[in-house]
Amino acid sequence: MGGGEAVQLKEVGERSSSILSPVSSVSVLFYHQFLIKNLIRKDIKGRYSNSFLGYIWTVLEPALLSTVYYFLFIMIADDPDPLYPVWVIIGVIIWSCFGKVLQSTVTSLTRNASTIHLVYFPRIIFTYASVGSTIWITLMSSVVFIPLLIAYDIGISWQLLLVPVAIFLAAFNAVGLGLLLAPTNCINRDVEHLVRFIVRAGFFLSPVMWTWDMALKRGWASDVVIWNPMVFPITLARDGFLGKVTEFPVDGILISIGWGVAMWVIGSMVFNKFEHSAVKYL
Amino acid sequence: MSEISILVDNVSLSFPKKKSILNIIKRRETSDFLALEEITFTVNQGEVLGIIGRNGCGKSTLLRVIAGIFSPDHGQCKSSGKISLLAGLGTGFTGHLTGRQNALLYGSILGHDEKIMTSLMPEIISFSELENFIDEPLRTYSAGMKARLGLAVASALNPEILLIDEVLGVGDPVFKEKSKKKILEMVAGAGTVVLVSHSFGLMTSICDRVIHMGEGKIMFDGDPKEAIASYYESEEKRK
Repeated sequence: MGGGEAVQLKEVGERSSSILSPVSSVSVLFYHQFLIKNLIRKDIKGRYSNSFLGYIWTVLEPALLSTVYYFLFIMIADDPDPLYPVWVIIGVIIWSCFGKVLQSTVTSLTRNASTIHLVYFPRIIFTYASVGSTIWITLMSSVVFIPLLIAYDIGISWQLLLVPVAIFLAAFNAVGLGLLLAPTNCINRDVEHLVRFIVRAGFFLSPVMWTWDMALKRGWASDVVIWNPMVFPITLARDGFLGKVTEFPVDGILISIGWGVAMWVIGSMVFNKFEHSAVKYL
Repeated sequence: MSEISILVDNVSLSFPKKKSILNIIKRRETSDFLALEEITFTVNQGEVLGIIGRNGCGKSTLLRVIAGIFSPDHGQCKSSGKISLLAGLGTGFTGHLTGRQNALLYGSILGHDEKIMTSLMPEIISFSELENFIDEPLRTYSAGMKARLGLAVASALNPEILLIDEVLGVGDPVFKEKSKKKILEMVAGAGTVVLVSHSFGLMTSICDRVIHMGEGKIMFDGDPKEAIASYYESEEKRK
């Protein structure tokens, strides 16, 4: 077949796994934006379908949780900070953003097995679509801050914009770990259960029920918790709510952002390298 | 002198049986299930190729390798253009979205962008005959209605290379006829077609060439009638 070379033949199922993986995944997002938009819509509509209160649950859930923790806290330690309920509600919202992103990215391949078996597109799209819908729902639940700002007579300031920044950072800190673990979850669902435990345990190890200031008062405690990459986003959101730019130590900020970037690079590389062998297990 | 559209070169693929995290790093284990074994063939531009064989012989896996869903352990698979796999119509359909939203979602899963999907919508609605239901949630649809919507979206595709995996015959007899006609239209319109089916009548009438597969290997590659004869022969031997 001498004339066979006239048409350029390309290998099917493009893949790249290099240090540039995170960059190429961003270009994939741009190229498939219509698909991602549709997947996010499916996810968000699905989460609250068949419920009377619908989206109100995004606000109601953290609010109710905070009430419970508030009572728990005044039972353990009397005389709390008057703003304590607000600290808890912010902690719950930011932490659940991290937890939901982590869980949905880890299960992004296993949940979409039927689609994966029928059509090829870069599977990282599933991961980013679930990140998108979680960020959207978290932003919706931040509406709860408006009545709180009025109730506590705190003015509206530009620093409130640090709250969505903190939400993005919380999601970003979860993405890399999720990408790293998603292929392994195809082979062994133990990963999924382990992640659920990490999210539950991390709830107590992160400043959800406590604050960075409380840790500072304990001296040594702050030296330990500063290594938790989620301390910074939660503190950032709390300070932003009060209308101040955070005074969180720079090394803590670097730990948090550094964790996010490093995990994102490693996670994207691992995901791109192993997604092809992982889908055979689905 | 015709140009090559699909090149499958010495492709082997195995599915892991043991579930261990370490397997993901290792290339292959001896205990693995060998689904495709050293498959080599080419499909020329404009050719309609059929693949037959008993269940579990690797036909669908082979289509999925060509579509890029599974990457081969050994060998390579190349193509000259945009490939679409027609299988399991209505993948990703969800009950709480409306028919229209599901059509957009399915279309985007199949690789269409927004502009094309909006322009295709009228055609999709009229072909699926769902004018009065398109903005109702999909959970209110009957199975036949869902299948119609799935086929309507899928058949609006216009790929250079079309792979079909047993999608003929959905819905009521009238729609079945209509869908068969539509798929034949797609076959005629597409540059190159690879078709997996059990309906030998159809195969002999539309395929230029048929491959008979057995246990992950090519048993026969050539004239449709001879391929079907080879299939019956090997079935006879099994008894």
